[in-house]
Amino acid sequence: MTNESTTAPDAPLPGGHPGRSHYHRVSIDAARCDGCMICVVVCPSDILELVGPVGDRKARVKEDWAGCMSCNNCYAVCASQAIRATQPYALPAPREQMRIGEFAPPRNF
Amino acid sequence: MNLETSMDSHVDLVELENADLGSRSERAAIRHAPIPKIPPGAPWNATEEVILRRRSIRKYKPVQVPAHLVRRIVELGRFAPSQGNCQPWSFVVVRDRDLLEKMEAHCVGVCKFVMATPEYANVHPVPALAISNIASGRFRVFHKAPTVILILMDKRGVGVPEVDVGIVGQNIVLGAQSLGLGTCWIGFSKFLNGNAALMQTLGIAPPFEIVEAITVGWPFGVPSLNTVERQTHEIAWFEDGRKEVFY
Repeated sequence: MTNESTTAPDAPLPGGHPGRSHYHRVSIDAARCDGCMICVVVCPSDILELVGPVGDRKARVKEDWAGCMSCNNCYAVCASQAIRATQPYALPAPREQMRIGEFAPPRNF
Repeated sequence: MNLETSMDSHVDLVELENADLGSRSERAAIRHAPIPKIPPGAPWNATEEVILRRRSIRKYKPVQVPAHLVRRIVELGRFAPSQGNCQPWSFVVVRDRDLLEKMEAHCVGVCKFVMATPEYANVHPVPALAISNIASGRFRVFHKAPTVILILMDKRGVGVPEVDVGIVGQNIVLGAQSLGLGTCWIGFSKFLNGNAALMQTLGIAPPFEIVEAITVGWPFGVPSLNTVERQTHEIAWFEDGRKEVFY
């Protein structure tokens, strides 16, 4: 069973900034998460927390989540590949991103 | 030196080469060193692995890095190419906790100031988020790293000294990665240029200025268990009178 907890993708930025934070959608697959807490520690913006009974803890995005900068360090350190932040490098928006292709892992030609 | 002796020494050299066939063939081997053969799809080599596994590390173990390792990675920076070989760089290494706290406090103050000005609305959403995170104390500018290397640029560099300094930084960052150290580029360190007292303490004066800082420390966890995908970029390829486009 896959239980995704996903943050709102279009929240306002803090401090009265007119922009929207539509890149920073974190999803956690609770079925895969084993509550090891390493993502919670590694997150530079401190937006993750552990919830649930002892022995069955799961990572979750805090309600006040707007700090995510899509660095994806949480995914990079996750032994069970249970967490991801979306579209981490599409930074130029609201400018149009040009001469760009799909996301891809390293390809050894 | 007269003509006769000079001729003699020439003859001596030729005789030496003829006499020592072993060293002659060694020299020939150097001259005709083969072009390496790397088949398509060959596995990544050690250097490529270092490049691909590097990530910006923002969580460090609360343990200082041995001084000799910091000297070692800065040494790699020294061997960066630069325009006209002008080497427009210098380094400041800060491992003093009090000083690091003062640097942190100044950058936090600048972020708070920026948020209070109308200019904040014009900041791109991504740095705007970082600025607000720093101002609210959610995000540390120097990530509590035990060592911070400030990269100074000599503004008189002959070409684009910012590029030269960037190459220095990449040498440092990749060298650190190869040693198992974690690093992160800190662009907000530029704010330090505006604090006269701190600049005096750090001994930084024109023509030098801070362009970037690199935090150094032992990363928490295994920082690249999973490879985070990145976007492909257009590659326009001109060959044999034709143009092709790859991604």
